[in-house]
Amino acid sequence: MPKIDVSHKDLCNLIGRKLSAEQLGDEVLFAKAELDEINGDMLKIDVKDTNRPDLWSAEGVAREIRAKYKPGIPKYDVRKSPFVVNVEKSVESVRPYTACAVVKGLKINDTVMSQLLQLQEKVAGTFGRNRKEVAIGVYDLGRIKFPITYKSISPEGIKFIPLDFKEKMTPKEILERHPKGKEFGHLLNGKSMYPLFIDSEGEVLSVPPIINSDHSGKVTEKTTDVFIECSGFDKRFLYTALNVLVSALQERGGIIYGVKVVYDKKSEVTPDLAPKKFRVSVNYINKVSGLQLPVKDIVKLLEKSLYSATVKGKNIELLYPAYRQDLMHERDIVEDVLISYGFNKIEPVVPKLVTKGGISKEQSFVEKVTEIMTGAGFQEILSYTLTSKDNIFDRMNISGHAVELEKPTSANWCVLRTWMLPSLMEFLAKNKHVEYPHTIFEIGTSVIQDNSETRAKDVTKLAAAVSATTVNYETISSSLDALLKNLGVEYTLRKTSHSSFIEGRVAEIVSSGKHLGLIGEIHPAVLNNWALEKPVVAFEIDLEEVFELLRKK
Amino acid sequence: MYALTEEGIKYLKRGLPEKRLIELLKDKNGLLMNDATKLLGGEFAIALQWCKKYKCINVTDGRLMLIGDMPDETKHQENALKEIAAGREPDSNVLQILIQRKLVGKDSEGIVKQAEKFVGKEITNLNTELIKTGMWRKVKLKPYNVETHGKKIYIGKRHPYNRFLQSVRRKLVEMGFQEMKGPTVELEFWNFDALFQPQNHPSRDWTQTYSLRSPKEGTLPEKALVEKVRAAHENGWNTGSTGWGYKWDPTKAARLMPRAHGTALSARTLANGPVVPGRYFAISRCYRPDIIDMTHGVEFNQTEGIIIDESLTFKNLLGVLKEFAVEFAGAEKTKFLPDYYPFTEPSVQMSAKHPQLGWVELGGAGIFREELTRPLGVDVPVIAWGLGIDRLAMFKLGINDIRNLFSQNLDWLRKQVVV
Repeated sequence: MPKIDVSHKDLCNLIGRKLSAEQLGDEVLFAKAELDEINGDMLKIDVKDTNRPDLWSAEGVAREIRAKYKPGIPKYDVRKSPFVVNVEKSVESVRPYTACAVVKGLKINDTVMSQLLQLQEKVAGTFGRNRKEVAIGVYDLGRIKFPITYKSISPEGIKFIPLDFKEKMTPKEILERHPKGKEFGHLLNGKSMYPLFIDSEGEVLSVPPIINSDHSGKVTEKTTDVFIECSGFDKRFLYTALNVLVSALQERGGIIYGVKVVYDKKSEVTPDLAPKKFRVSVNYINKVSGLQLPVKDIVKLLEKSLYSATVKGKNIELLYPAYRQDLMHERDIVEDVLISYGFNKIEPVVPKLVTKGGISKEQSFVEKVTEIMTGAGFQEILSYTLTSKDNIFDRMNISGHAVELEKPTSANWCVLRTWMLPSLMEFLAKNKHVEYPHTIFEIGTSVIQDNSETRAKDVTKLAAAVSATTVNYETISSSLDALLKNLGVEYTLRKTSHSSFIEGRVAEIVSSGKHLGLIGEIHPAVLNNWALEKPVVAFEIDLEEVFELLRKK
Repeated sequence: MYALTEEGIKYLKRGLPEKRLIELLKDKNGLLMNDATKLLGGEFAIALQWCKKYKCINVTDGRLMLIGDMPDETKHQENALKEIAAGREPDSNVLQILIQRKLVGKDSEGIVKQAEKFVGKEITNLNTELIKTGMWRKVKLKPYNVETHGKKIYIGKRHPYNRFLQSVRRKLVEMGFQEMKGPTVELEFWNFDALFQPQNHPSRDWTQTYSLRSPKEGTLPEKALVEKVRAAHENGWNTGSTGWGYKWDPTKAARLMPRAHGTALSARTLANGPVVPGRYFAISRCYRPDIIDMTHGVEFNQTEGIIIDESLTFKNLLGVLKEFAVEFAGAEKTKFLPDYYPFTEPSVQMSAKHPQLGWVELGGAGIFREELTRPLGVDVPVIAWGLGIDRLAMFKLGINDIRNLFSQNLDWLRKQVVV
């Protein structure tokens, strides 16, 4: 799902081969990705796996493609360093954890810069749930004096110049006035203390997950060494995010140094890039794939997917890079084997199973009713079940409750319809310029709130309407009679009242003591609400009740 | 002049129904209504009506008893029928009754007079008098301008998109698929959790989804099932998986939403104990917040389903897709690409070479993860598939804006050819 922009030239440099856009289009498939757009040198790549943040950059995609030519697990060294980050207990209730790294020896040009920013944004945005789970800061190492302290302060407890601004501000002011403060401030809602990275000389690095300081939180083309921190609530998220970032920077020639993160009671060195282990059975791979692959072929295929693979009896012991966190089950390995093998080299086999097909009873009843209604001269229409409260209540002169969406895309689509007639009225209103008479019907789903597990149930209903210069109750009652007689339903019409219809011209449709629906002539006030100019007669019946009646017969 | 109708001629031959009933009852100690109906057939109702009028029959407990003689009126009417048959006019009171009983009608000699008026003329409309008397031979029937088209009339017909969906449904049934049904308002449990999509994880955002303002929360299914799903999420349960490794929250799973994909129906079907081997499908309305444009709507139909059997492999997965390509797009050529769905592994997307459209993304499929199937009680491979049929519908209906699948234009609907 994440879409990334990469430079064609840069991607080829990283892969180490000159490939045409067309060739790249084929190659990115190995990274479960698709080449979406080509704009000169710029390519838009759609990476489909939401569980593989390591693929959301030119570096990651290149690594995956390169494995075809240079199989095996990539090597990552984390060098020892004196860098320390002290974590104060005060962040426990605010944003308790951090994972940090130093990368030296980078050559940051425009391309590298934009890839770094993009990866940082995708990882913190998509993987880090818009900075909620993971916020990332990248800093110019040369402007920081270690050790760094990660602590919390009161919203007005310090002043510093935030990135892209020229004046000193308190964190509180940043949340109020800085664009990033406005965008991400909600993540600190209700907190009396804010998290803060600060160096040994009192220079602020950042207030995560909001903003870096102007002092050190700015990486430029002159920067060669960077300090990276990820902060959040779940260490596993932070490790993955950090590993993804530093692995990408190693692709750019960076040398990775560990940082000692010291908590109240214990400390750890991050990042940990030691390969992770997994075991998979050869039988399982062949069972799921349906291929009878020799073990040595499987090993080769796995190496082309950046694994190190060793055969141990009936199993294969795997090592895989630390930036991956998506391997949960042997099944995940099977897919990598198959992608490596090539889907299009596999012969499709239609399963030979004897199964009995059939449409649901409800659907076959709907088909029967449709046949009768079209036979009676009614044009079938089709509407959305999402509609507005205006349509189903106000314009129909009634009030009521409907299932309502939380954040509707538009006020026109904010509730699920509770009855069908408004859909027909809307259709008539849209077709005033079309030759009359309008003789229409729809069979569709209405949603009624009840006490079931989902607090709502679907009701299949039929509504029919006729609009013309001269129509009357008899016009529509004849159609209803034809429908119910042809279904074999005995019914009576009982005088009733309903404010969508003219008083004295509306009846309840009843059969075996069950209320099936309403029939009548639409009230002129309702016609006015829909800006309709010709009379409308209509009926609406609950097809599930009718179906039940017939089933009991 | 008057003549007997068909019914009149019948009664002349075998007697009026009421006379036949009275004769049946004579010298008998009553007769059951049912037996009388058998003997007299459709004429029994007529007979009973007249006998009641003459008060010569009594009905108790479904048994008919004769309580009087043959009425004079019956004799008079039968005589009158004979008179008319002989070309004489009977008593006018009796005649009126026979006319009301539709046993006697105006004579065709009247018709002759009517028909004679047209003889030798050129006429536009052929009529009953001319046809019955044969005098059409003596008139000239004016030729019409048969080359003009008829006046436009609008017939009742199906909405073309619904007709298309119906053809898809029929085809799937032919292929051995059974239709699934499920609710529009769904628990997040069935839309997400039962499909092993972790809470608070980007794969939950795999599709944008709506939530509900009201009602907000529903009831989770039976505890045993919920606990298995929870375990699968938290630690993989007994599936050999690590699980997602987080604390699963039942209140989040109990939240309600409008169904975002038909796979929710597949999850319910698996939990309800499907037939194995089994093929299931659904064409379901789904809802996703999206920018509304030519290719996206917030409400749309999804066609998808599952195939369940111990023998299924990845080769079959490709086979299923290939079969769809042939059946639905008439495409012999297919291309398979790796894809990602949070609930299947491996996952495949298929492009098929449509004879007119060229390469189209026709569908996707995958094998459900064990972390999904086991908690729902299914221990055999399940292939899940989805078909992008809207693109084919648009091609078939000659439209290029997806919003027109739900066309609200009556003029367009009336003009649509039935395909």
